Amino acid sequence: MADRPPFPEPTTNTPRWVKVFGVIGIIVVLLLVGVMLLGGGSGHGPDRHGASGGADGPADAAETSLTLEY
Amino acid sequence: MTMPPRLRKLVLTAHITSTVGWLGAAAGFLALAVAGLTSQDPQMVRAVYLAAEPITSFVIVPLAFASLVIGVVQSLGTPWGLFRHYWVLFKLLITIFAIIILLQEARTVSVFAARAAEMDFVDPRGLESYVLHSGLGVLVLLVPTVLSVYKPRGRTPWTRW
Repeated sequence: MADRPPFPEPTTNTPRWVKVFGVIGIIVVLLLVGVMLLGGGSGHGPDRHGASGGADGPADAAETSLTLEY
Repeated sequence: MTMPPRLRKLVLTAHITSTVGWLGAAAGFLALAVAGLTSQDPQMVRAVYLAAEPITSFVIVPLAFASLVIGVVQSLGTPWGLFRHYWVLFKLLITIFAIIILLQEARTVSVFAARAAEMDFVDPRGLESYVLHSGLGVLVLLVPTVLSVYKPRGRTPWTRW
């Protein structure tokens, strides 16, 4: 954020970069919504990553540690 | 309401510090997550889970909110405004979006840290999420930085605010 706008700008036309950013933003949001819906509605967070002790979560990880070789 | 020049410089300094600090903290988090994910040592993995929690709670999240709040104050206190120019508006939207994702991931980090505190072994696959989110986070946070420097032209139709 700088001091002040250096030039008066017209308000009529939407610049091309704004349209590109807008399209990219819409695509990203749609992708995220799609991922959340396909992920069973759990979306982001510990549930999605199994941290609540789900089927592939740390609860099982404790068991699989017996077979993992470090 | 326009801030006097000295106050504006002070707020601008705070805004740059918090925003770039957030970016740097996310990059540091990414390095930590990659180190844990590529390690063969279970104690290293556990240490990464434990370290990730305070970094997230006490550095990344506060910097993110500071960046948002100070950025809003900064924009409202200058002729740029909050909704007058597209580049400022995009910065606001990207910051809000990043904070929403960050808060979701912070829950994951807290849960895994609690697990790591209780157990000797925590599945390193959880770090894949850390790498993904922090990696994408760094890329996303670069966008407002670039917008701030280049300030591309374009005024919104709602310039009366």
